[in-house]
Amino acid sequence: MTTTTAAPVAAGPVAPTRTARARSRRNLWSALLFLSPWIVGFLVFTLWPVLYSAYLSLTDYDVINDPRFIGLENYRDMAADPKIALALTNTVVYTVLAVPLHVVGALGLALLLERAGRSSGFFRTAFFLPKMTPPVAVGVLVLLLFNGQNGLVNEALGAVGVQGPYWTTDQAWIKPALVLMSMWTIGSTVIILLAALRQVPSELYDAARVDGAGFWRRTFAVTVPMISGTLFFVVVVNTIAAFQMFTEAYTAFFGSGNTTYANEAALFYVIYLFQQGFENLNMGYASAMAWLLFVIILAVTLVQLAVSKRVVYYEGDQK
Amino acid sequence: MTRRVGRPLVLAALVAATVVFVYPFVWLVSASFKPRGEVFDNRLVPETFTLDNYVQVWREVPMAQWLGNTTLVTVLAGITVTLSSAAVAWGFAYFRFRGRGFLFGLVLATMMLPGAVTLIPTYLIWKELGFVGTLTPLWAGNLFGSAFYIFLIRQFFLGLPRELFEAAQLDGAGNWTIFRAIALPLARPALVLTLLFETQAAWTDLMRPLIYVQDSDKFTVPRGLKALLDQYGFGGEWHWEIVVTASVIATLPMILLFFVGQRHFVQGIATTGSKG
Amino acid sequence: MSTRRVGLCGTVAAAGVLALAACASGSGEPTQAEVTYGSDAAMSGELTVMGFGTGDDVAQVRYDRATEELGDDVDVSLVEGDLDIQAFLSAVAAGDPPDLVYANRDQIGTFASRGAILPLTDCIAAEDVDTGQFREAASGQVTFDGEVYALPEFNQVQVTMADSSLLSAAGLGIEAVNGSDWDAVTQATSALVRRDGGALSVIGFDSKLPEFFPLWAKSNGADLLSDDARTAQLDSPEALEALELAVAVYDAQGGFPAVKAFRDSADFFGEGNQFATHTLGAMPMENWYVNVLNEVSPDATLAFDTFRTREGEPLAFATGSAWAIPAGSPNAAAACRFAATMVEQDSWLAAAQARADARAESGQVFTGLLTGNADADEEIRSTLVEPSGSPVWDQAVEAVYEANENTFSLPANPADAEFKAAWQDGVNRVLNGQQEPAEALAQAQEEAQEALDDAWAEWDERSDG
Repeated sequence: MTTTTAAPVAAGPVAPTRTARARSRRNLWSALLFLSPWIVGFLVFTLWPVLYSAYLSLTDYDVINDPRFIGLENYRDMAADPKIALALTNTVVYTVLAVPLHVVGALGLALLLERAGRSSGFFRTAFFLPKMTPPVAVGVLVLLLFNGQNGLVNEALGAVGVQGPYWTTDQAWIKPALVLMSMWTIGSTVIILLAALRQVPSELYDAARVDGAGFWRRTFAVTVPMISGTLFFVVVVNTIAAFQMFTEAYTAFFGSGNTTYANEAALFYVIYLFQQGFENLNMGYASAMAWLLFVIILAVTLVQLAVSKRVVYYEGDQK
Repeated sequence: MTRRVGRPLVLAALVAATVVFVYPFVWLVSASFKPRGEVFDNRLVPETFTLDNYVQVWREVPMAQWLGNTTLVTVLAGITVTLSSAAVAWGFAYFRFRGRGFLFGLVLATMMLPGAVTLIPTYLIWKELGFVGTLTPLWAGNLFGSAFYIFLIRQFFLGLPRELFEAAQLDGAGNWTIFRAIALPLARPALVLTLLFETQAAWTDLMRPLIYVQDSDKFTVPRGLKALLDQYGFGGEWHWEIVVTASVIATLPMILLFFVGQRHFVQGIATTGSKG
Repeated sequence: MSTRRVGLCGTVAAAGVLALAACASGSGEPTQAEVTYGSDAAMSGELTVMGFGTGDDVAQVRYDRATEELGDDVDVSLVEGDLDIQAFLSAVAAGDPPDLVYANRDQIGTFASRGAILPLTDCIAAEDVDTGQFREAASGQVTFDGEVYALPEFNQVQVTMADSSLLSAAGLGIEAVNGSDWDAVTQATSALVRRDGGALSVIGFDSKLPEFFPLWAKSNGADLLSDDARTAQLDSPEALEALELAVAVYDAQGGFPAVKAFRDSADFFGEGNQFATHTLGAMPMENWYVNVLNEVSPDATLAFDTFRTREGEPLAFATGSAWAIPAGSPNAAAACRFAATMVEQDSWLAAAQARADARAESGQVFTGLLTGNADADEEIRSTLVEPSGSPVWDQAVEAVYEANENTFSLPANPADAEFKAAWQDGVNRVLNGQQEPAEALAQAQEEAQEALDDAWAEWDERSDG
C-alpha cells in the first residue's frame, strides 16, 4: 500500500548542532520504540487484510469458493454500474451536509457547556446519552420521531406554523432526516472540543476582555485559533466517518425485519458495498468498491491536511 | 454581553438541547415499565406501571453473565487502547525523524478502508492464532493502539508547550521519564476521553461478538440483545417489552460510569484552564 | 522513507500473504458422497447449529426431541439469534463452517448455487424423510436444479384483514377488499379513506407495497420468475397491470409517502393498533399478525378472509425458514438427523400441543401453527384447533388455513438477493414518483435478468466442470 506522504504538521527542528545527526539517529530508535505497538499491530493485523482485499479486488470471489483472478474487470464493471454513481452522490451529499453541521453544532454546545458552571456535568452526560443507547432502540426511535404523520419533529414544526415533510417516507427528505438524525451522536465531538476549550489559557480571555472584545470577537479571535488543532482533528475524523456512513441508515431503512423499505435516497456507498459483498456474494466487487472509496477519502483528507498547515496553530510550534 | 446576563440564556439553551438528546432514552426507560400492549404508545408516563419486565428479563436471560463478559472485555479494551495509543501518539508528537509524516499518514489511512472488506481476512488471522470462539478478539486488537485515539492524543501532545520537555531533557531526563512523568499527566484529559470513548465503543460493539463468539455463555450484552430480538421476532411471539427492558439494563452501567468519569477530563493543565 | 525499508516491508508482507493465502484457500470440502448418513449410524461428536434459538415452546419442544434422537454422545451447541450472513461467511471462508444452519428459504438458491450447502438427497434417503409431506411452495424454494438443498420449517402466508365496523358503515362486505374485484378495491379505498384537514385520519386500503407485489402480480396470473428460475418476467402486461392497481390505491389516498408515514406511526404491536383505533379499512397481512391482534385487541371489530385472485380463488405466497447443511460440515450425519427430527410430523404435533396448552392457560385462542409439513398442519388442525366461541377468530383461523392450502412461491434461484432488490427497487421508484410503472418494471426486468444470467452461467460452469 503506497500512500502519498503527509508532511509533518509541526515545523522542523531548530538549526542543527554538531551532535544533531547522532541525536536524530537516537531519536529514530526511541521513536520506533514508542511506535512499536502500532507497527507490530499494523504488520500483523492490518497489512495483510489490506493487501488481501487489494488482491481480491482483482478477482471474482464469492467467499465460498476460491477467488478467480479477473484483472481489472471489477473496476470496469463499477464504471458501468449506475448504482455506484448513485451511492457516491448520496454519500457526498450527506458528507457535505453533515460534517459542517456536526462541527458547528458541537462547537456551539461545547461553548455553552463551557459557560454552564456547576451543572455542566449533568449536561455533558445528557449529550453523550444517545451514543450509549443501543442502536436497535435508536433505529426504532428515529422512525417514530421523524414520522411525517405524528412524529415529534413535525409536531414541533407544527407548533411554529410549519407543515413538516414526510421525513422517513418521502424520497426528497430522507437524507436531510438522516443528517439531522446523525446530529444526535455528536456527543463525543462536543466532549473533545470541550476538553480543548479547557486547555485555552484564561489570561488570553482576560486580555481580550480588557481590550473590550465582546463574546463573538473573543470566540473568533481567541477561542477558534487556540483550538484550531482540535477543530482540524474533528473535521478530518468526522469526514472519514461520514463517507463511511452505514449503521444508522442501514438500521432505519435496510435492516432485516424493518418495515421501511429501502429507498434509493438512503443507499450510501458502504451500504451498497455491504449488499454486494455479503448479500449478493460479490466480495471481489465489494473489495474494488472499497478501494475506490479509500482513494476518495484519502484525497479529501490530503486536501484537508494541506489547508490545515496554513491555518492550524500549535502551542508546540517553533516560532 | 457579560457573563451574568448570559447565564440564564445559556442554561435555557442547554436545557432545550438536553431535551432533544435525552428524549430517546427517557422514552426507552418509560417503555420498560409498561406492559406489552402499551410499549409503543409513546406516553412518557406509563398508563400501567409494572416491574414485571425487569423480573422477567432477569429470569429469562443470563443477564448477569452477559454483563460480566461485557465488563471484562470493556475494561481490557479501554485500558490497553489508552496506554498503547498514548505511547504511539507520543512517538509521533515528540520525536522528529525522517518518514514520520509518511508513517502517520499510514495510521490515518487505516481509518479509511471500510471495515466490511477487511472483516473476513481479519477473521482468518484470529482463526490462525486460535482465538475464534473466545473473548480475546473482542479486545486484544487494542494492544496495538487505534488510529482514532492515536490521532486524538497526538493532537493534545502537540498542544503542549515544547519548552516543558526541552527543559526536562536538559536536566538529563530520559525519553521514557519525560513521557511517563511529564507528558502523560499533562495529557490526562485526552487519556480520560480515550478511555471513555473506548469503553462506550467496546460496551456497545455488536459486530465483533457476532463474528467471533458462538456460545451464549460467552455473549456480551449487545450480542445477547440481538439474540433476544431475533428470537422474539416471528412465530407470533412479540416480546418488545423484554427487548426494551434489556436495552435499559444494558445502558445504565454506562451512564453511571460516564457521569462519574466525565469529571476527570474537565481539568485542563494546572497552570491554565479558564474557570467555567 | 528510504527505499530499503520499503523493500523490507514488502518482503515481510508478501511472506505473510503467501502463508495466509495458503490457509485461506478452500480446504477440500467433502462432497455429498463422502458423508455417511444413516438411520442406524450411532451419532457422536459436536453439533454446532447456527441461526436457531429456543426462544419459545414450539422451538424448545422440538429441540428437546432432536437432541434426544441424537443420543448422549452428541454435544449440541446453538449459536443463538438469526443467521448472520457475516458470521456465517467468515466461518465458511475460514474452512470452519457450522454443522447446520437455520436460514431463510429465499437464501437457499444462492447458497446452493455457490456450493455453500450440500444437496440433501442422501440425507433424506438415510433418515427416511418423507419429502411428499412438504408443501409444494416450500419445496420449490428449497429445490435447486432438481435437488433438495434444505428441509422447510415454518410457513408464513397472507390473509385479508379488515375493520368490519368501517366496512359496514360504508355499506361494504369483506369481498370488496379481498382482492377478487379490483374495481371494488378501488371504490372501497375511496369510500373508506378519511382526511382530517391535510393529514390522513383513516387509511382506506393498504395494498402493502412494495413487499406484496409478487402477490398482486400472481393474483393477476403473472409469475415474476419462470419455473426453471432462469428467466425474469417482471415486465409482463399482467404484472404491470397489477402494479398499476396497487399503486393507484395509494394515489387515491394522497400518495405513498403519506400512507406509509401514517402506517408507520401506528402502535403496530399494541392496544393502539390500526384496527383497534379504526384508522385502517383493510389490508392483506401475514398470518402472525392474527396472533398479535388476538392478544392485544381481542374485542376489536375485525373481519378476515383469504386474499383472492381476480377469479376469486384463495391465494398467498409462502415464505419461511429451512434447515441446510453447509459444505464442509464436520458432522453432517448428526446435522441431518437433527434437522429431520425438527421437521417430522410428530415433532410438530408435540410442539403445537405445548403451544396450545400454554395459550389455554393464559385464556387465549390457539390459532394453529403453519409448517412446511402439510401432514403435520392437517393433524394439528384436526386435533388441536378448536372453535374459540368467537366467530371472528374462527374466521381468522379458517382464512389462514385456507390460504396455506393455496400458496405459491418463487422458485429457488442463484441470484435471490439481486432478483428481490431489482423488483423492490422498481416498485419503490414508482411509489416515490420517480418513474412510471412500465418504465420501472422494464428497468427491473433488465437488472434482474442480468443478475440471473450471470449467476446461472457460473452455476452451469461449475456443475459441468
